[in-house]
Amino acid sequence: MSVEKSRLFRGGRIASAVATEFVPEDVLVDGSGMIIARGKGFEVPTEAEVIDCTGCILVPGMFDVHVHAREPGQEHKETLATCSRAALAGGVTGCVLMPDTSPPVDTGNLVKSVMDLVSEQSLIPMYQAGCLTKGREGKEMAGYSGMAARRVPMLTDADHTVPCPYLMRRCMEYAKDFGVLVTSHCDTPPLSKGGAIHEGLTSYRLGLPGIPAMSQEIGIDRDIRIAQHTAGQLHISQISTAHGLKSVQIAKEEGAAITCEVSPHHLVLTDASIHDYNTHFKFDPPLRPAADVEALVQGFIDGSIDVLACDHAPHTEFEKSSEFISAPFGAAGLETAVLLIFDQFIRRGVFGWNLLIERYSNAPRKLIGQQPTAIREGEKAEFFVFDEEGQTRISSDCMHTKGPVSPFLGETLSGQIRGTTLGSRWYPVG
Amino acid sequence: MSELKPRKDLLDIESLDLSEIEYVLSNAVPFKQLFQRSVKKVPTLRGKTVLNLFYEPSTRTSSSFEVAAHRLSADVTNFTVSSSSVVKGESLLDTIETLQAMRSDYIVIRHKAAGVPGIVAQHTKASVVNAGDGFHAHPTQALLDAMTVREVFPEHQGRRVVIVGDILHSRVARSTSTLFHKLGIEVAYFGPGTLVPAERHDFLRRLMSWEEVFDWKPDVIYLLRVQLERQEGAFFPSIAEYHKMYGLNSLRLDRLRQMGSWLMHPGPVNRGVEITDEAMRYERSLISTQVENGIAVRMAVLHWLKPENGVDS
Repeated sequence: MSVEKSRLFRGGRIASAVATEFVPEDVLVDGSGMIIARGKGFEVPTEAEVIDCTGCILVPGMFDVHVHAREPGQEHKETLATCSRAALAGGVTGCVLMPDTSPPVDTGNLVKSVMDLVSEQSLIPMYQAGCLTKGREGKEMAGYSGMAARRVPMLTDADHTVPCPYLMRRCMEYAKDFGVLVTSHCDTPPLSKGGAIHEGLTSYRLGLPGIPAMSQEIGIDRDIRIAQHTAGQLHISQISTAHGLKSVQIAKEEGAAITCEVSPHHLVLTDASIHDYNTHFKFDPPLRPAADVEALVQGFIDGSIDVLACDHAPHTEFEKSSEFISAPFGAAGLETAVLLIFDQFIRRGVFGWNLLIERYSNAPRKLIGQQPTAIREGEKAEFFVFDEEGQTRISSDCMHTKGPVSPFLGETLSGQIRGTTLGSRWYPVG
Repeated sequence: MSELKPRKDLLDIESLDLSEIEYVLSNAVPFKQLFQRSVKKVPTLRGKTVLNLFYEPSTRTSSSFEVAAHRLSADVTNFTVSSSSVVKGESLLDTIETLQAMRSDYIVIRHKAAGVPGIVAQHTKASVVNAGDGFHAHPTQALLDAMTVREVFPEHQGRRVVIVGDILHSRVARSTSTLFHKLGIEVAYFGPGTLVPAERHDFLRRLMSWEEVFDWKPDVIYLLRVQLERQEGAFFPSIAEYHKMYGLNSLRLDRLRQMGSWLMHPGPVNRGVEITDEAMRYERSLISTQVENGIAVRMAVLHWLKPENGVDS
């Protein structure tokens, strides 16, 4: 892999957020990683490496605002380096790191130390989020000024809610002064405590303690009210129910600065997908019934859901190989997000690539104040090559994450990511 | 009976088909007849080993399996893991490796976490019998309950059973109701709204009061054990109130007696909570029959399952 060489992506068709039609054009990237030509029949330097994209589409790089890279402290699950390789294999060229590491990232100095590691270890830009409360304990406000000075993209206690509404109110008021986005994992802990899967027929059948839909819904309602009262900007992570989405829709109609995200697994799996006590299906928030999933898909299409975010939460196979009730929540998601959305929706004509690019490339970047990327002259090269006719078998052997746990292991999905280019580097998959 | 597929494990009731249920229940009958003889043993499992692995204390079920295995001439190892030393989830795979190394032919397992017997079954060649996992399933209990009901009602189709008490935390309610439904027996739940899951199979009706229970004319009243610690979870205000609302007292027993209803309970009984002392002496109580049938059904289950261990020469 030469860094200096220019590279020609030839024979592909270019996808964008604005058009449903692909444009059949070649793309030339120079040795510095800039797109210097896009079109047909332009002059190509003789030494340029040619990437044959015949039959493929070129898609702007995705950006994930919900990634647990586990470093520092839990490097047995994932590292910044392995996480970035997983991202590139999934067509993701940038992400926000959740602060639920060991120790939790709750000061400016910790943000700086992780960002230093990112610049050494990661192949992609990563932006470290900061905690809302000290140690993510939900008891005291963390030091926002230091973290804001280090340009944290958001403040969040990751997969913890701030249990006390008083403290949440003060956090939102105070964060507003620094212009930093607050992201909330909306939940009502006394209602969800001890639960393993959605409370419903499946939890009855399997005899597993349930997490009722209202535990997230009440959390969403509470945090929306606090955001409205404080006129703060709130991002709701991992929305999972129809009622929760309705609350977001109403708040948006009322003009509140609310955004929300959904994960691919909440768009394609239901609680009925859980079988054989396979802990790879254990998520927080949990997989919900079909009616919720349908509402989420509708919200993804109509824009009441702003962002796709995979909640990449790798664990070791060993950690997941335990009793369902005591297994950790979450699974790896970066390598399967685009494939799943293609396989389940784009290929079936439910919506087009332009919508996925909007929700998973443009909107997440805008959410944290970054410029969206596009495949055009003068832009840094940041896109992936996707073969719609290809197939991808999801297996732990082929995944780049250190924690290759996924409910889709063993499945063959339509579509194949051939490789991702970021600046002057080209990362072929496989 | 000839078309029966060989089955390695018994993990739940949901996955059983009617021919398998009939096979086990009909085989349990001659095993039970054996108990009347002076020699109660048959050589069916001679040379085979049964590992009784109980991660939750249970005298009844573990003894029942032990007796069943002995009467089939199997060698039995009892292994009770006290709750204080229960291994954390992380070492489940290690436990399974150890079990596999013991090369038992049958593993009878009870665990407080739903799904564990199934995970063990996936990783071992031994036949695994679920002896109760969390709130999930207790298939041999359901089978012995079915045997008991069929003894008093040879024409069991359309008979009515009301299961009373803490359904939410009951693997017995789940397995027994599912099996009864498969056999064409109608099942209703009766208990406080906090303990009867709102989302359940459509065939499970809910009765709201003893009056509704009597109006429904159940053939069997099936009482569940009420865990005293449930009042801490705010499922009901006090044991006294539970007993007042849902307990089987003499007045209610009189109504059942008039209807000729039978009484069942999976044991052990909490006297003074779900049932009074007088009700315990009810002449139509099937509680001891359930215990006896438990041994017969477990013999039939061990006889039926086919481990993948070794090959007989």
